[in-house]
Amino acid sequence: MKRAKNLYSYYMVFPALLIYSVFFVIPAIAAFYYSFTDWRLDRMDLKFIGWDNFEKIFSDKTLILALKNTAIFAVVTVAGKNIIGLLLAVALNMRLKTKNLLRAIFYSPSILSILVISILFTPMLRTEGTINRVLEAVGLHSLSQAWLTNPSLVIWTIAIVSIWQSAGFQMAIYLAGLQSISQEYYEAAKIDGASSWKSFFKITLPLLLPAININLMLTLIGGLKVFSEVYVMTGGGPGNASQVVGTIILRSFGEGNWGLGTAVNTLLFVVVTIIAIPLLVFMRRKEVTE
Amino acid sequence: MGYTRKLAIRNYVVEGFLLLASLLILLPLVILILGSFKTSAEVLSFSLSLPDKWQFSNYVRVFQEGGLSRAFLNSIWITGISSIINIVASSAASFILARRDTKVSNTIYMYFFMGLIAPMSIITTIRVVQGLGFYGSISSVILIYAALNTAFSVFLYSGFIKTIPKALDEVAFLEGASVFGVFFRIVTPLILPVNATVAIMVFMSVWNDITIPVYFLTNSSTWTMPLSIYNFYGKYSRDWNLIFANLVLTSLPVFILYLFGQKYIVSGLTAGAVKG
Repeated sequence: MKRAKNLYSYYMVFPALLIYSVFFVIPAIAAFYYSFTDWRLDRMDLKFIGWDNFEKIFSDKTLILALKNTAIFAVVTVAGKNIIGLLLAVALNMRLKTKNLLRAIFYSPSILSILVISILFTPMLRTEGTINRVLEAVGLHSLSQAWLTNPSLVIWTIAIVSIWQSAGFQMAIYLAGLQSISQEYYEAAKIDGASSWKSFFKITLPLLLPAININLMLTLIGGLKVFSEVYVMTGGGPGNASQVVGTIILRSFGEGNWGLGTAVNTLLFVVVTIIAIPLLVFMRRKEVTE
Repeated sequence: MGYTRKLAIRNYVVEGFLLLASLLILLPLVILILGSFKTSAEVLSFSLSLPDKWQFSNYVRVFQEGGLSRAFLNSIWITGISSIINIVASSAASFILARRDTKVSNTIYMYFFMGLIAPMSIITTIRVVQGLGFYGSISSVILIYAALNTAFSVFLYSGFIKTIPKALDEVAFLEGASVFGVFFRIVTPLILPVNATVAIMVFMSVWNDITIPVYFLTNSSTWTMPLSIYNFYGKYSRDWNLIFANLVLTSLPVFILYLFGQKYIVSGLTAGAVKG
């Protein structure tokens, strides 16, 4: 038995392990150290400064706003992408004539670059842009907004564009999950006289848990890592109204404040890990019991 | 009878609603495509009107003035090589990790798995690449993309390889095959569908990405399609027709890949994500 195991030599793991360690893990570990230094682009010597960078983060209004915006973006997109994705999947799992066409349409934006979607929406979201013109044409003048230039609205607008782009991707995963649920459960429930609402909550949702779990994880982690949408649509503006953690890191990098930028990155790392680990443990357990 | 009819009516209502909702997705994309054929004055309405005269010349101009041929080759090179490295290295690693059920292999698996959740640390990665002496080069970006996608690929491959019976390997070992031989002759052919999934997923995410190029491609001769479009967007901010032509051009390769690879995307996600 032992011999059989040793036939699978570990050297085949090394290439992946090497690339992944050098270009992902080592920088991540080094970041923990550099977060506690006054590392700057223009100085070679660096000093250990304890928690100074983190104190700076929590006393700087822009940085706090960036953390708040990141949280808003993550929560709004997780809710939007999953609720809409699930509704689309349930609807497109019915016997509809155009279901294949509709699935392809709803999925299509998620194959495009965030850059493409962001540039496309920028002119349409202007005060005199397409979206307001459409709202006015259908009599909804009151909804017409300065979508990207109103400081209290801008992060929400960016979140909605992100939902527009990728709810179809969540739909695809939910559809795959729905199709792995055996019809027999529903037939049995129907015989017992359960309503479709009841079968949805008692059969569909529980059996869809793995798909829900992976979708929550993907959208949450993606939401906390948000960068490209904001970078392209507003660059963090107007003023600093739409700064997120990702754009703050770019800014500190550009200004040469490498220690501070790395500290912001580390903070993001810690937050994402704390939130994601319970989901991860759940998924691992699923795998083991299978 | 009454029940089926009710069901049919319900389906019609749902279908009608979805067709309407699909316009929300389609119309912006149609505005994009139509806009890419308009004049720079015409496009400013950002509307569904057809172009007066279809300006195919927009595409020619974009290719010449945007330096797109260079960016296109860079993108193909970066995306292609990083996908290949990722596929070979991750599938080989996953094969061993899925077959060896020891503490060490489980620990390595978790080590890879962490990469699914942890965000990369950009500034220290730049330092590592500088230390290795190839910051700003295309090869640095290729290796970074290969590393960033390792977690996801190992996750997909391991799930799939576990479903391949170990008895197949054992027979081959008895006949004197090496682990290398078993991997390439037996496992690789069986995981071809997952290879397709990983290839498509990695290709799409690398092709569409702008974050890594923003930080790591400092020289315009190394720019990828998205980065040169971003730059073009800054320079030609009034010529939306050219910008739109540019956006259509960069989307074309992934769109074609999607048309051919559609079934692998969904089946691969099912195998990896939903079953896992």
